Amino acid sequence: MSDAIRHRLTPLERAERRLGFAMLAPAFLLLAAVVLYPIAELIRNSFHFNHLAQPWMGTPFVGFENYVKALGDDRFHEAVLHTVLYILVTVPGAVVIGLGLALLANQPFRVKWPVRLGLLLPWALPLVFAGLIFRWFFEYNQGIANAMLRGLGLEPLNWLTSPGLAFFAICLAIIWKSSSFVALVLLAGLQTIPKSFYEAAEVDGATKWQQFREITLPMLRPAIFVALIFRTITAIQTFDIPYAMTNGGPGNSTETLAMYIHKTTVDFLDLGYGSALAVLMFLVSAVITSVYLRHTRRDPGRH
Amino acid sequence: MAGIEIAQVVKAYGSVPVIHGIDLSVRDGEFVVLVGPSGCGKSTLLRMIAGLESVTGGTIRIGERVVNDLPPRDRDIAMVFQDYALYPHRTVAENVGFGLRMRGTDAVTIEKKVKEAAEILQITHLLDRKPGQLSGGQRQRVAMGRAIVRDPKVFLFDEPLSNLDAQLRAEMRVEIKKLHQRFGTTIIYVTHDQVEAMTLADRIAILKAGHVEQFATPDEVYRRPRSTFVARFIGSPAMNIVPATIAPDAAAITLAGGASVATPAAFARAAGRNVLLGLRAEHLRLAGPDGVPARTVIVEPLGSDTLALMQVGAVEMTGRFPPSAPLRAGGEVMLGLDLDQAHLFDPETGLAIV
Repeated sequence: MSDAIRHRLTPLERAERRLGFAMLAPAFLLLAAVVLYPIAELIRNSFHFNHLAQPWMGTPFVGFENYVKALGDDRFHEAVLHTVLYILVTVPGAVVIGLGLALLANQPFRVKWPVRLGLLLPWALPLVFAGLIFRWFFEYNQGIANAMLRGLGLEPLNWLTSPGLAFFAICLAIIWKSSSFVALVLLAGLQTIPKSFYEAAEVDGATKWQQFREITLPMLRPAIFVALIFRTITAIQTFDIPYAMTNGGPGNSTETLAMYIHKTTVDFLDLGYGSALAVLMFLVSAVITSVYLRHTRRDPGRH
Repeated sequence: MAGIEIAQVVKAYGSVPVIHGIDLSVRDGEFVVLVGPSGCGKSTLLRMIAGLESVTGGTIRIGERVVNDLPPRDRDIAMVFQDYALYPHRTVAENVGFGLRMRGTDAVTIEKKVKEAAEILQITHLLDRKPGQLSGGQRQRVAMGRAIVRDPKVFLFDEPLSNLDAQLRAEMRVEIKKLHQRFGTTIIYVTHDQVEAMTLADRIAILKAGHVEQFATPDEVYRRPRSTFVARFIGSPAMNIVPATIAPDAAAITLAGGASVATPAAFARAAGRNVLLGLRAEHLRLAGPDGVPARTVIVEPLGSDTLALMQVGAVEMTGRFPPSAPLRAGGEVMLGLDLDQAHLFDPETGLAIV
């Protein structure tokens, strides 16, 4: 807003603008209280020593000491690695499964609501419930996974107490839980593709597979990007499902960054260090998101 | 190229029939227009020919083959859709060559054929653009290019001009007619616009509520409409259709409101009956004192001629007059009715009395 324009405002326009700001103020103040203030407080904390178990130390300013500590913290490195692995497995996994579900749900069913309900249900379920359900699935003695193995005449497996299997089981639960959200986003995208596109392709001699490759996938690209961004952001914050299934175990083998931050602050009461870790996670998440956003902006195929 | 035989074709959605046993025989190379108001089944019939709708009963033959159960891709047809169905993420060239590429044609042939089609439709300079960058008329050309590039046996058009403004529509009408003259391919064309039907068709099929009301040349449907429905639908302004009574000796016809006019000999076929008298606007003229008294209600000068709504006794009729005719709203005139050109319809059935 240049001064030249502000000078030309009539009293009426200025009054309208004041009214506009006044109407925005409550929402802005609320957001400031619940978003901006906590973020500022988090960043401030990350530069201080603040350990609730050592109250006699006070909360002195320590500069980048917490961050330096993180660089040398093996458990932090492992948590980052696990989080990255979860992202690499569950984001593409959820998008592929979600696409399949969306295509299925987009078929002309005579009765639509059971299909839609089936899609919505995993999404509507709280994450922790999903984690608990899958924990029961993979439980050693009673779980359905081992029951099936026994039924096939195979040895039951220690799903949740051996590192590789636990990671696999958690990924499965996350994909099940999140693919329904992806499917909803993609289903909305599918429904914007005009029917005549497929009919014209049909007349032109395209097979179903060709129609999928030539029409559905390219037309769905914007929706797939949206789904990827949302899924990645939530995957960076993965917490509930591994928390409910293994609580990071065995050892720290399934612990995510969010879980480590939680343990540092809530279990170990080290608010200063925990805040520094949270700031780092925030930065990682911002970087990944901006990479996606730049990619979508550069893409000329979007309308 | 091929003709199309439609025999006793029925379409029902569940228990709701929308097409009731249609018979149409389209000759090889003929341009047939299916026309009618919305909901008459014209698009459904076209989509059944294309294979996009299943056939509930009867048979559809393209050339020698019964195609009822053939998928669209095996019918050797091309279709132009109302929304053009151009893929926004593909260039014009890719859109035009889409059908060839899907059928595994080699790239060199595709390029050659796309170029040929583009030249015919004058879209060569647009080949590298995306559909989003084109005007409505240009998109229409691309959609036609996509159809002609495959050199099919039959072209199907589903209301292709309805998204264009009036001027472009007239232009594209000429373009489509040229295309037909050039390729001589059988065309089935659906529209709700009677002007398109009249100007394009070799024969017009007028559909009403799932039946073919009349199937004949434009001249025939204009001059000899089989029913009041056809008479009202074809021609602009719509034919005047007014209730009247013919004297028992068929010497005179009395319009509602009392005006009585001497009749030509042909009216003897309806002697003594109540009828609907059909008279086109051009068959009204200004006459001397022996005419029927009328009052001018509204005058619409079109330049080339002037339309005027006339109050004749208890009925209103629209007449087409030369632009020089001394007409003004509210003025009293004497009208001459060219009853030689008139149509008589049965008031009960709406069918022409012949």
